[in-house]
Amino acid sequence: MPYLEYILAMGNFEYSIEAHNLRKDFSVSESGKGMMGAVKALFSSKKRAVHAVESVSFSIKPGEFVGYVGENGAGKSTTIKILTGILVPTSGEAKVNGIIPYENRRANGMNIGVVFGQRTQLWWDLPVRETYEMLRHIYRIPQDTYADMMKKLSASLDLGPLMDMPVRKLSLGQRMRCDIAASLVHRPQVLFLDEPTIGLDVLAKENIRTFLKEMNRTEGTTIILTTHDMNDIEQLCKRLIILDKGRVIYDGATEDLKSRFVHDKIMEVEFHERVETLVGIPEVVVVSSSGNKMRLKFQNGNSGIADAISRLASLYSIKDISVREPSVESIIYSIYEKTTLLPKYKDKG
Amino acid sequence: MNPSTFIKFASVSFQKQVTYRFDYFVSVLNGFLYVFIFTSVWKVIFAKSGASGGFTAESITTYAVMAMVIRISFSMEDTAIANKVRDGSVAIDLIRPVSFYMMNLAECVGYSAFHILARGIPILIVSALLFGVHLPLEKLPVAALSLTMAYLILFMLNFATGLLSFWVIEIFPFMLLKYGLINLLSGGIVPIDFFPASIRPYLALTPFQGIFYAPAAIITGHVSNERALVMIAEQVAWVAILAWMCGLLWRAGQNKLVIQGG
Repeated sequence: MPYLEYILAMGNFEYSIEAHNLRKDFSVSESGKGMMGAVKALFSSKKRAVHAVESVSFSIKPGEFVGYVGENGAGKSTTIKILTGILVPTSGEAKVNGIIPYENRRANGMNIGVVFGQRTQLWWDLPVRETYEMLRHIYRIPQDTYADMMKKLSASLDLGPLMDMPVRKLSLGQRMRCDIAASLVHRPQVLFLDEPTIGLDVLAKENIRTFLKEMNRTEGTTIILTTHDMNDIEQLCKRLIILDKGRVIYDGATEDLKSRFVHDKIMEVEFHERVETLVGIPEVVVVSSSGNKMRLKFQNGNSGIADAISRLASLYSIKDISVREPSVESIIYSIYEKTTLLPKYKDKG
Repeated sequence: MNPSTFIKFASVSFQKQVTYRFDYFVSVLNGFLYVFIFTSVWKVIFAKSGASGGFTAESITTYAVMAMVIRISFSMEDTAIANKVRDGSVAIDLIRPVSFYMMNLAECVGYSAFHILARGIPILIVSALLFGVHLPLEKLPVAALSLTMAYLILFMLNFATGLLSFWVIEIFPFMLLKYGLINLLSGGIVPIDFFPASIRPYLALTPFQGIFYAPAAIITGHVSNERALVMIAEQVAWVAILAWMCGLLWRAGQNKLVIQGG
């Protein structure tokens, strides 16, 4: 009775998604080099354990829109696959809507929508419309509920012209719109998006972002988004979880990332004449200079940046000045690169 | 899985087959060629050495045609699971709230339904006209039961072999072994009656003769009604055993699964 637990779990629960000390090891057999290595591997294969996910804990409340980022191989996709019931964790525990996904894969499947940007869940040889018909059967959606949802999805993702096209003739952007719709026809409470904007042009990305924001707002869908595009994160995700080598290294508001980890601001200054070095403003460091222009880094100290600018203006003749905050992308990049040292992240688990 | 979802999966798989038309014409010709080769071989053997194994020249032709028609009708995409594991698309199957086993069975049924209608039946009709096929109609209900069991046995052998791809990336050697065993021991080419009497009891301990020998022997009236019921009972037992083994394999395999390509 896989659905019994699903029915029991239908009530309210505090968290949509809970992960507790998740760990996933893969064993990889290593074969030596060349032909001899291959022959040797036939008889004795060295197994090496790869920790795709070391220890991941977080909990996500209903209706949250969370960005889940990390470098390639950090363990993002593996976590998503555990939460969707595809992979069984080596240890630890996960719950999605109160259901343990890898023990009740099918019951969990009723509640969740999944988009893998690099794969399609549409039936390759069939017209798009047929996929939705299939899904109506699979999720046992009543005809009127289905018609309502399809009308809504079709309008906001502009699916009308695509409905009768065979999936293999769709462009990547079209396919992604159809795939996202396919993940939502059964009105899942939780939506997993694994790189849904990969390879899309700016306009297509923007359309998808607008749509996702809308779904999250109107349907209250909990969304967990994996992406390498930090614009996705900045525009959509109030909360950000950063993963590195299978561990959570940041879990908090996307906004806070800047104030918590970035003490630097970048100033671009154009002087009236060429300036070789800056004297008398210790909190400002020259990053680069060319001609009359200079790029400066301001390190937050006791005095504010306004003070630094006014001293700069009194000492040198300035034609133009602009101040930028580093983007989330550059912050995360520097976290990966270990140029920004994270304050020790405390695991909540 | 409810019946309407099952039918939907099967019909999608059926439709997919329709799109590959060139494949189809080649495979009809190929199937017919096999029928021709095997009936000719048996004709020569029987002309030279007389009847054996309880067959006459006529009944062995009927058996050869039926065994081949069943084989063609039981066409299955036996590399489907391995391919999906290899390219990682098995992940898509697993996000759906349906049983992986039932989904594969439904897709397999749709695939075979196409081959029954588009190849099995036309080849049967043409062969009947050219070589002569004598089917006792009163055997058909029992034969239908045997055919169903035979189909499930073959499906589950394929399913189990496919699941091995959760452990090893390259399952081709296992496939070859499976083909070899089926070709030799299933009665698809040589009826079990021609095996030495000392070996036959051991063959009965394998699921293979339940695949083509049992249904072909029953539908052609080669075996008595009592013998037919024993054979069907053996088939049912094998269906139960294989279903249990597939269940074990599937549960063990889930822990081993690696999704290729992120």
